[in-house]
Amino acid sequence: MMRTFWGGLLIGLAVAVLVAAAAVTYEVYDTRTLKRTVRRGEVLCGVNTGLPGFSIPDDKGNWSGFDVDFCRAVAAAIFDDPSKAKFVPLDANERFKELQSRKVDILSRNSTWSMSREQNYDLYFPAVAYYDGQGFMVPRSRKLESALDLSGSNVCVQDATTNALNLADYFRANNMKYEEVKLNRLEDVVNAYDSGKCDTFTADVSQLYALRLKLSKPNDHDILPDLISKEPLAPVVRQRDDDWMMIVKWTLYAMINAEELGVSSKNIDEALKSKKPDVMRLVGNEGSFGEDLGLSKDWAARIIRRVGNYGEVYERNIGSESALKIPRGMNQLWNAGGIQYAPPIR
Amino acid sequence: MAGFRHLICITTTAMALALSSAHSWAQQPEDPGDQPGLVADDSFELDPEWHKQIVYYRTTEPPGTIIISTTERHLYLVQPGGRAIRYGIGVGRDGFQWQGLLNITKKAEWPDWTPPPEMIARQPYLPRFMAGGPGNPLGARAMYLGTTVYRIHGTNQPWTIGTKISSGCFRLVNTDVADLYDRVPVGTKVVVRQKPEL
Repeated sequence: MMRTFWGGLLIGLAVAVLVAAAAVTYEVYDTRTLKRTVRRGEVLCGVNTGLPGFSIPDDKGNWSGFDVDFCRAVAAAIFDDPSKAKFVPLDANERFKELQSRKVDILSRNSTWSMSREQNYDLYFPAVAYYDGQGFMVPRSRKLESALDLSGSNVCVQDATTNALNLADYFRANNMKYEEVKLNRLEDVVNAYDSGKCDTFTADVSQLYALRLKLSKPNDHDILPDLISKEPLAPVVRQRDDDWMMIVKWTLYAMINAEELGVSSKNIDEALKSKKPDVMRLVGNEGSFGEDLGLSKDWAARIIRRVGNYGEVYERNIGSESALKIPRGMNQLWNAGGIQYAPPIR
Repeated sequence: MAGFRHLICITTTAMALALSSAHSWAQQPEDPGDQPGLVADDSFELDPEWHKQIVYYRTTEPPGTIIISTTERHLYLVQPGGRAIRYGIGVGRDGFQWQGLLNITKKAEWPDWTPPPEMIARQPYLPRFMAGGPGNPLGARAMYLGTTVYRIHGTNQPWTIGTKISSGCFRLVNTDVADLYDRVPVGTKVVVRQKPEL
């Protein structure tokens, strides 16, 4: 009798401890993002307050851009409706804390993936959406083909940025001489370059293409293909919510795989009738990939129909159909000159 | 012989256009929109997307290889060090694109043009023979691909760069085709890629 009593008490205590531990874990680590998103009826996306090509609102508050479309793709995968993505503009210095404190479900805000960012904020960058890096703009009349030809240049750069540090490292490492023209405001850097005070201007390549539009003669300037730093831009989610991380990761990979397989928003109906195994798995006619994500069978077909494949989203926002016209470069598919490579859906 | 081959190229262009625009067949006679005799205004400016430029390009093909992407409408001349010279091109219409590996078998400057009888029947305004020159639809240079009817050539219609208009020939603006011509010898490997089939 006594034994049963103490045994019962012990089991009771053990259960209480487990429940408490589970509660504490729940407090610290959110594992229910998908459930809350579905209950709320929309995905909350942290985006840049205004960056042409990546995320920018028009005068009616309609958002557009590469990062914005990625969030719409996640909303399409879950709700079959890209308008179920709600955009929350976040400043650079608060973005990771806001994600951590659950103000948003995803950060899709031109954020460079780095080890310290994953460690310091308990975050996870599921996959690289856009390979950016620091590069150089030069007047076309200089007929340069490589950054290694820049020795002896006056270089315009924004002061107190990683760009200024990378510049110094690159020129030192290659035994090249240069004069810096350092200015605090980016606008002043652009104006200095435009008025001929520098032979070249360095910043992240995506930024150089956007700033080129502000020059008096954009067509008279080229951006060299060399990159002197790694800036892999990726969406961000909280750690330890693996179900949600999987949805975000495979949304991007579905878009990249779709492009590789030739499936786009224009031929998705045709693709649904395809007998090619890769295409059948992508659009949900074979396997249970969508169900295993906690979504519908046709999750990827929804993304492609409503938002498009990776190439369509790229060209529309930052590529040939946009004002920026950034060449695909590293962001071309791995089998077409770039390094964008998605693991297969199988 | 050169004239005959070019004749085939333009002819197939015309036929391709005729076939692919079957819907408008009744209302509008098949016309590829060639404008022989037209000398393009030098001031025509290409969209930056189609400018010749050096780009990042990773490939297992050796430097000197030409890689054509019909979906992108770009021609890449592979350079050492993970880069390529990229040119904007006009490509074949949907259904008239192809892929594979060929070699440049012959090169010609300012090629002549002899439109075939079928083409003249459809487009009576075309000349019977046209000597090479600035008004010639084949443009400043032509590079022959294998023993096929396909060519990489120039154009007198620079605004067609970036479009899908031919039956499988690749056209560049004259300054670009001349630049490419000077960089590639006979024997150059040409890889043509297009969108995968569903």
